[in-house]
Amino acid sequence: MRGRQLMALVRKDLRLELRTRETIVAMVLFAIVMLAILQFGFGTRDDDLTRFVGGLMWVTLAFTAVLGVGRSYVAEREQRVLDGLLVSPVPRTVMLGAKAIAIFLYMTVVEIVVIPLVGIFFVKGPYWDAIGWIAIAAVLANICIALSGTLFSGLALFTRARDLILPVLFLPALVPVVIAGAGATHAVAGGPHDMSEWRGYCLFLLAYAILFALVSVATYDAVFDD
Amino acid sequence: MVTARGLVHAYGERLAVDGVDLELGPGERLALAGPNGAGKSTVLRLMATLLRAQSGSLEVLGEEIPGGARNARRGIGYLAHDPLVYLDLTARQNLELYGDLYGIDDRDRRIDELLDRVGLLGRAEDTVRTFSRGMAQRLALSRMLLHRPRLLLLDEPHASLDARGAALLDDELSTATADGRAAIIVTHEVERVARVADRLMVLRAGRVVLDEPTTGLDPMAVRRRYEEVAG
Amino acid sequence: MTDGPTRIPGQRAAVIWGALATILVVVSTIGVFLIAPEDADQGIIQRIFYFHVAIAIASLVAFAVACVAGILYLRSRDERWDDVGEASIRIGLLFSVLVVITGSIWAKASWGTWWVWSDPRLVTYLIVVLIYAAYFVLRSSAEDDRKMRYSAIYAIAGFASVPLSFYSVRVAESFVHPVVFTSGGAAMPGTMLGWFVVSQAAMIALFVALLEVDLLGRRSERALRRLAMRLESA
Repeated sequence: MRGRQLMALVRKDLRLELRTRETIVAMVLFAIVMLAILQFGFGTRDDDLTRFVGGLMWVTLAFTAVLGVGRSYVAEREQRVLDGLLVSPVPRTVMLGAKAIAIFLYMTVVEIVVIPLVGIFFVKGPYWDAIGWIAIAAVLANICIALSGTLFSGLALFTRARDLILPVLFLPALVPVVIAGAGATHAVAGGPHDMSEWRGYCLFLLAYAILFALVSVATYDAVFDD
Repeated sequence: MVTARGLVHAYGERLAVDGVDLELGPGERLALAGPNGAGKSTVLRLMATLLRAQSGSLEVLGEEIPGGARNARRGIGYLAHDPLVYLDLTARQNLELYGDLYGIDDRDRRIDELLDRVGLLGRAEDTVRTFSRGMAQRLALSRMLLHRPRLLLLDEPHASLDARGAALLDDELSTATADGRAAIIVTHEVERVARVADRLMVLRAGRVVLDEPTTGLDPMAVRRRYEEVAG
Repeated sequence: MTDGPTRIPGQRAAVIWGALATILVVVSTIGVFLIAPEDADQGIIQRIFYFHVAIAIASLVAFAVACVAGILYLRSRDERWDDVGEASIRIGLLFSVLVVITGSIWAKASWGTWWVWSDPRLVTYLIVVLIYAAYFVLRSSAEDDRKMRYSAIYAIAGFASVPLSFYSVRVAESFVHPVVFTSGGAAMPGTMLGWFVVSQAAMIALFVALLEVDLLGRRSERALRRLAMRLESA
């Protein structure tokens, strides 16, 4: 029953996205613009930014995540469908899970573009050998982003100025993910090639995901409980 | 089907529902009327488990609310001002979603049957965005009936349904009594609803000022009764 | 109605905790600056440590109280728990800002620079300040029940973010900070430890006293509002 509800909600989000293509296209474009802005922001026009590869990648991904997470409940809110979901016997945790899966998938699409692009744009070192390790860290980070993002977007949903509220709530909570994502990326592609450091950051991301999963499951009922 | 005792709901300092008692048995169809801001919609949303009462007790379909809300929701059919469907999904996709959320076994057959009844079978594969307001509300009607609810909660249904939808709804309500289903119909068109309801409850400033059977009364008499108490 | 002035519950607690906090703060200040031995390496500036660390821990206590108050609010929907949560976070945030400021002063004295990103405590508390400042942004943009519910949820999620922030800045981090206080226990002489315990008690008492006073204010305000409403209807 829960599995069927979860699948139905995820399928609904993907169908809406495939029809309108609003979120993913905007996220990918935004990420590419971010990368360019970061390069120009350094002011050096340096071709080799290997040392900063972790930061470039994860600053971009964090801001792109805010953009994507902000779209989480747009259809429900603008077309006022939320009551229909809330009056149905779907557990709130299933709604949480479905939104988290959607965000996870959007972030994955963005990363499929961003991670290779970072290598092409900024790195003159041996980047491509490390891309598998970066991808693993990215998958873990996506779980973190999806879980905390779903919780905070639910909180921001019915606030005034929600477009401002979400980044203010979400970005501080994302700081540990940025630290760990950038740290893991730097460890394998930024020069040191330190696998134990990479492992430490990945374990941290796992701990973050577990902790936020627990908090979300414990509190998500109350988010929609008017 | 519904037992409410001393329900209170306030939006901040503003009391919307101020100690409402309500007892609704199987087969009863209650018209819930009152002037604007009397708390009709709030009462309906409390019954629909969309709002939580700040005090008082509420039992819906044998389930204590909020504790048993999820079980109660299986048997609630809620028709709101908004059709509660996604504009960028097709009519069928919307009903498939709700069919899965309610765990309906004969989902596809049931969808065809209902789309046929509301006259949308020919438009099943079109997105709701292309529908007129009346059509969207007829789709909402089929969404409400999809899981064969035992308690119908309708928020001013006649305001947004077209003639065809209204006829279908009246038909549905008139068979409800025989099936032992119950309905609460929020309205400000008392005469219109009097034809399909057998009891009238009037709210004023969040309180019940009238609650009496209207069986056998003609609609104009119900209207006069309403105006006596509603002020 | 009543003859004398109405007593607001909690008045006595506020007075007692206020007195206790005052005494402890005075005693610890005297102890820290006049009695405790001077650190051989760092000299007088090391004395800021007593406050820096004590406030840091007191702020964590405040955030923990807010987290528990959040859980209790969600269970009971009693607005008094919302009061406790908001007051605790307000005080905890104030304390965290003080941690950042005292840490910055310490950094200036020790390393000659106001800010060092390699100091985990400084960086962590910067993140903590950002997390809890957002709490008030959230509060100001929602109303009534939602405001209290969202605040409670955020207080819980925020408290989960705190240890995450702690560990994220420490993973694979080389500790440049002078470790006076290792996780295994105190690496300092007995009298130093003694004065640290006194400072810590002072800061926690200060938190409780501020909390009691804040809650007292809210209760009086509510009582006043009720009185006004009664007068209006009379």
